[in-house]
Amino acid sequence: MTQPLLEVQDLRTVFTTKDGIVKAVDGVSFELLPGETLGIVGESGCGKSVTALSIMRLQRPGKILGGKVMFKGQDLTRVSEYEMREVRGKEIAMIFQDPMTSLNPVFRVGWQVAEPNRIHQGWDAKKAMTSAVSMLQRVGIPSAASRARDYPHQFSGGMRQRAMIAMGLTTTPQVLIADEPTTALDVTIQAQILDLLRTVNKDFGTATILITHNLGVVAGMCERVIVMYAGKIVEAGPTKDVFANPKHPYTWSLLKSIPRLDEDRHEPLKPIEGLPPSLVDLPSGCAFHPRCSFKVERCSRDVPALLRVGETQLAACWVTQAGTELKGA
Amino acid sequence: MIGQSRVAELEMPGAAVEGVSSRPAQSYWNESWERIRANRVGLAAGILILVFALIAIAAPLFSALLTHFLPQTIDLDVTFHPPGKPNWLGTDELGRDTLTRLIWGGRVTLGVAFLTVAISLTVGSYVGMLAGYYGKWVDDILMRLVDTVLAIPAIFLFILMSILFRPNPITLAIIIASVGWGGVARLVRGEVLSVKERDFILATRSIGARDFRLMLRHLLPNVLPVLIVSASLGVGQIILIEAALDFLGLGIQPPTPSWGNMLTNAESYFFHSFWLVIWPGIAIFATVLASNIFGNAIRDAFDPRLKS
Repeated sequence: MTQPLLEVQDLRTVFTTKDGIVKAVDGVSFELLPGETLGIVGESGCGKSVTALSIMRLQRPGKILGGKVMFKGQDLTRVSEYEMREVRGKEIAMIFQDPMTSLNPVFRVGWQVAEPNRIHQGWDAKKAMTSAVSMLQRVGIPSAASRARDYPHQFSGGMRQRAMIAMGLTTTPQVLIADEPTTALDVTIQAQILDLLRTVNKDFGTATILITHNLGVVAGMCERVIVMYAGKIVEAGPTKDVFANPKHPYTWSLLKSIPRLDEDRHEPLKPIEGLPPSLVDLPSGCAFHPRCSFKVERCSRDVPALLRVGETQLAACWVTQAGTELKGA
Repeated sequence: MIGQSRVAELEMPGAAVEGVSSRPAQSYWNESWERIRANRVGLAAGILILVFALIAIAAPLFSALLTHFLPQTIDLDVTFHPPGKPNWLGTDELGRDTLTRLIWGGRVTLGVAFLTVAISLTVGSYVGMLAGYYGKWVDDILMRLVDTVLAIPAIFLFILMSILFRPNPITLAIIIASVGWGGVARLVRGEVLSVKERDFILATRSIGARDFRLMLRHLLPNVLPVLIVSASLGVGQIILIEAALDFLGLGIQPPTPSWGNMLTNAESYFFHSFWLVIWPGIAIFATVLASNIFGNAIRDAFDPRLKS
């Protein structure tokens, strides 16, 4: 077994709002192996992004209440702000959802792509710019040297996201966290960016955490997947196993709700009944039980732990942990 | 200009890439500058201010080569000389040349105005930046301080301070700026509050930038348009305040000429020597008007949506 590169243990992040305390991330544990691509899926507001931000300790105004983020033998939740800055952008880089707003409108793109190296390596403007241009070229920006002198508004969405990826990679980090990197892009550009991320993962050996709500993206990109619901991991395992044989009713319903090309077109889609719970006032027991078609009496009483179900998967569900197969309508 | 950059936004994979590189980079600043240039009145106002400023800077040159008078040279033989030769704009009750005094007075008045703006902007943007960026108790303390400063009736404060520190141009600038920074701080804070929530600030934080870098490198340039507008509108306001203080005898003290104290001085002779009032009056009026027009022009140029 290879040593994990990044190990998140029982991470808990909360936001204090006027309605109460929001447990955005509630006891999340996972590990990231060197060079792998790990998917985190879930619907909006389930805590995917906050998990990512908490790893970088950029979760403000949220607060990390507990847990550990082990990286290179140190717990990132405890290191000083100074040490954390050394990690950000150098060891762990992050790409954000909306490339239209993630670049500073007043600086040239090349300058911004060069910035991580100026911060972390102390390179002068010229040296950093040279490496920025070659990086822009590697991520597929045509005539990179002259485009580097452009301002962000002269770039299209796809090119901006490429520039963001270039910015993340100039320091050759060990971990790349991509937070919904394709959500704001149209479908053809999405495919290009995903291709690029795959190439990056292969060429640079950068371990990638890919956060998305798009199951198709996960299926195409990730070896392992984590499914989150209401701030908790409800299922985790190798992507092909989770998709072929989900062990949590939420995953099962998610997969059922996707239209399939190989199914009868007249079959109506099956959306998940009900609404995601309010994170301020979670249902008792398993947070998914009000929407679950498999629920048993125990589900509204006790919170299930994330335990091994089947050969390779982990699931937090009383039903499947008891050995019941998820089948039917 | 705006239309052109729009076209380039349409990305066609594989196509239309070649022509792209020949297109010059259009920065926000370039585009704003283009818009200022298109605004004739605004540009004229800006040029007027620039000309006045240059004349003021070159005042010794002008009095030596053009008017051949010094601002404080008294000649009791030519008192109340009407405009003509050799005193183009006439003379005052002590026979001093009005044009020369106007030029030297501009040096003082504009000098005070620009210095005041520089001080208020520097202090105000530091305070506003810190308050907006750090928020919480830093914000509370700094903004209550600003509230306090702005709650003091300015004119009384000016009068009090003018009595305590006998004003020369520099102390006068400090006195006026001691209130002026408050407004700038509020403005900058508001702007920082909105800019710091934008994604690129989080993105910059995620590459390990320090607070200092975020504030000076990333936030400040985004706040700069607001500062520039406030500076150019501020010049006009400050000239008026300074003129008012001079008029009350609390500003620049004679015999040093300033546009304000030239007005005060001329007050008693208005009926038989009206030019003594007209020239400094026009100078103040034109500068303030130009500064307001130019300020508005810059604001429109930075944010074309405001103009409709």
